[in-house]
Amino acid sequence: MRKKSLIALMLVFVLTFTLFTVGCSNNTGTETTSNETSNETTENTDTEKTESNDNGKSEEKIVITVAGGAVGNELELTKKAAQMYMEEHPNVEVKVLDTPDLAQDRLGLYLQFLEAKSPEVDVYQIDVIWPGDLADHFVDLNKYGAKEVADDHFEALIQNNTVDGRLVAIPWFTDAGLLYYRADLLEKYNLEVPKTWDELEKAAKTIQEGERKAGNEDFWGFVWQGDAYEGLTCDALEWVASNGGGTIISPDKKITINNPNAVEIIDKAASWVGTISPEGVTGMAEEDARNIWQAGNAAFMRNWPYAYKLGNSDDSAIKGKFDVAPLPAGKSGKGAATLGGWQLAVSKYSKHPDVAADVALFFASPEVQKMRATEGSFNPTIKSLYKDEDILEASPFMGKLYDVFINAVARPSTATAPNYNKVSTLFFKAVYSVLTGEKDAQTALEELELDLQDVTGFEVGEPKAR
Amino acid sequence: MAKNNMSKLAKREEKLAYRLLLPTVLILVLIALYPLGSVFYTSFTDKTFAGADKETQFIGLENYKELLSITIKELPPILDENGKQKIDPKTNEPMYERAIRILPREPRRYKELNQFTLFGKRYVIGATDPNFISAIWNTLVFTVISVALETVLGLAIALVVNSNFKGRGIMRTVMLVPWAVITVVSAKMWEGMLQPNRIGFFNTVLDKLGIGNGQIAFLTTEGLQLPSIIAVDVWKTTPFMALLILAGLQLIPDTLYEAAEIDGASKLRQFFTITLPMLKPTIAVALVFRTLDALRVFDVFQVLLSSRKYSMATYNYFQLIGNRNMGLASAIGVIIFIFISIFAVIYIRMLGVDTDER
Repeated sequence: MRKKSLIALMLVFVLTFTLFTVGCSNNTGTETTSNETSNETTENTDTEKTESNDNGKSEEKIVITVAGGAVGNELELTKKAAQMYMEEHPNVEVKVLDTPDLAQDRLGLYLQFLEAKSPEVDVYQIDVIWPGDLADHFVDLNKYGAKEVADDHFEALIQNNTVDGRLVAIPWFTDAGLLYYRADLLEKYNLEVPKTWDELEKAAKTIQEGERKAGNEDFWGFVWQGDAYEGLTCDALEWVASNGGGTIISPDKKITINNPNAVEIIDKAASWVGTISPEGVTGMAEEDARNIWQAGNAAFMRNWPYAYKLGNSDDSAIKGKFDVAPLPAGKSGKGAATLGGWQLAVSKYSKHPDVAADVALFFASPEVQKMRATEGSFNPTIKSLYKDEDILEASPFMGKLYDVFINAVARPSTATAPNYNKVSTLFFKAVYSVLTGEKDAQTALEELELDLQDVTGFEVGEPKAR
Repeated sequence: MAKNNMSKLAKREEKLAYRLLLPTVLILVLIALYPLGSVFYTSFTDKTFAGADKETQFIGLENYKELLSITIKELPPILDENGKQKIDPKTNEPMYERAIRILPREPRRYKELNQFTLFGKRYVIGATDPNFISAIWNTLVFTVISVALETVLGLAIALVVNSNFKGRGIMRTVMLVPWAVITVVSAKMWEGMLQPNRIGFFNTVLDKLGIGNGQIAFLTTEGLQLPSIIAVDVWKTTPFMALLILAGLQLIPDTLYEAAEIDGASKLRQFFTITLPMLKPTIAVALVFRTLDALRVFDVFQVLLSSRKYSMATYNYFQLIGNRNMGLASAIGVIIFIFISIFAVIYIRMLGVDTDER
């Protein structure tokens, strides 16, 4: 009796334990597959599977998962590139995992994969500010043949992506903040393309008043990214740098943000909220601004190049009515554009790092970059493509604004690594509190300076002229 | 029961009972105590999330001090040459020394949280992490107001669908729709309706009624953020409250009402002397459920306000994912846990949910 009860006990225990573990693994299994099936193009994989069967290949297909963005038509183009690769390599299946629009949310997702050392994702599309922070999780692409092609790309990006001599990511597309303007409206009100923030203010006001009188009550002068997130860091860095206020923290590790020029321009930006920009601008990210702009409800917009192609698509209310220019200048006399852009990095937890690296390098190759430039106005990172006629025809601004792209202002991610995210959060929070009227710029920047000292331990310094 | 009086059989039965409980206990340890314990442990370290091979150090209570330190300091007035307090020419308000000069910076820096005036003196509240202190405040305001509204509305709805009328079944089903929608989805839906321009439903309607200019920024204007969030939560969770209370209502025997009717008690009297007292245990359970849920609120805050305003849980997420500060994030988790425990104990004491008290 005793023995029997003991055995029964053991059985119960073993059973429940296995049930529990099986239940767990089942859960994760279904989760990932549902993620993938929603993103892959099922038809194609089916046909390819039968093809490979016909060829009599018994080996299993290598599956490479690319985590990519889905802003505008980004996802579509990434899938197209994956298709191109699969046509050349029938034994590889490239899946595209779409990730959140906000960079911060995307980082959150990536960190969960990386903390778990998960092989689920092989190639990550990473922001220009992440290589320093995430370098430990990625392979050195120089060892997989990136060395030969690195020189074709912008030096600034290659330098940015090289951590301790390791190339942790290959540049995919570059970005710089641009001023989008309605050419038709400037002509209607007899205005020039604004060269300074003051001119922009005036022009935006004139057009806004005029258009509202003409019956469009929802019309605004200027839309931009004012939500409390990384995008605000980009926008505010442009204001500050263009006004001779430095780049928050200088490359030689001095905290320079607390200066009169920065105070002046941030106060000015705060005065836009509710006047030439909607109250709701403090809740806007890239796509929110683009929606208002593309519906024909704004005279000016600050955004990245991707909005160019979309603004000229057939369903756009402003097709052919707009153009782009460098962002306006402040006191420094020069406009500034924040350097953006995304890179492709290969996870060191990948099961097939060599194939994954090959996919990444293919995606960053001139062939794919050209396709993305002509079909999605994603700026190539390969210098020679800026002389390519097809690209210049599809996005004429790329040739015209080459200087803007090559001289874009980098965020202080290198100087502050691995604390960049904290620095950026403190910065956009401080600017945000000014935009919403909670604080004045003087107080906010004074506090920010102390906060930055706490986080980085750097000295305070004066901003240098660019 | 005295143990030595037990028969052999009883003793054996007891032993067997313990053995049969063993798997449950083990699983409980594995899935509840172990993760909870490791959160407690991590909260005393400076662990970095996804930090690859970075070393972690034990730092004692530092994370908790960083999160919870608060101080109150008096702000001295700014005096002019005559020894009188200066008046701001723009706002016409008396001027005080700026808080940033008064708040201590060593050993840890206090940042301004709020200012208030008491007996003609100006004070400033400083906190080492004002974001977290205001996150606690936001969460408490959200919890108290939303749960109160949900209970009252839920009770009203439950009383309606409990009465006899045609189509009662359909009514009960339809009532549950908001509860059935996934929170993130419904939050996104509300985000669309709350848009700060005439694309948004509320701005369109209010504009038609002549309120506002069609540009009300519900989710970015300080005074409208919490009310908007509370509205979304009330919309979503009232059906759940109604359902729980409805179940309680159906347990009250009709005979009681019949007796009351014969005694000549009015409907109102019946409600206060029969319905409410009989519903008390049900409402108590429902309140505990909702309050504990509301204290952990994450999805509505994350979707609708992200980094603009935090609840305790979204601030936790932000520290973990944004700043990769796993130690600090764990400490926040523990603090949320403590808050919830306090509320649970208060409820059990006050409402007598405890079933053993007979």
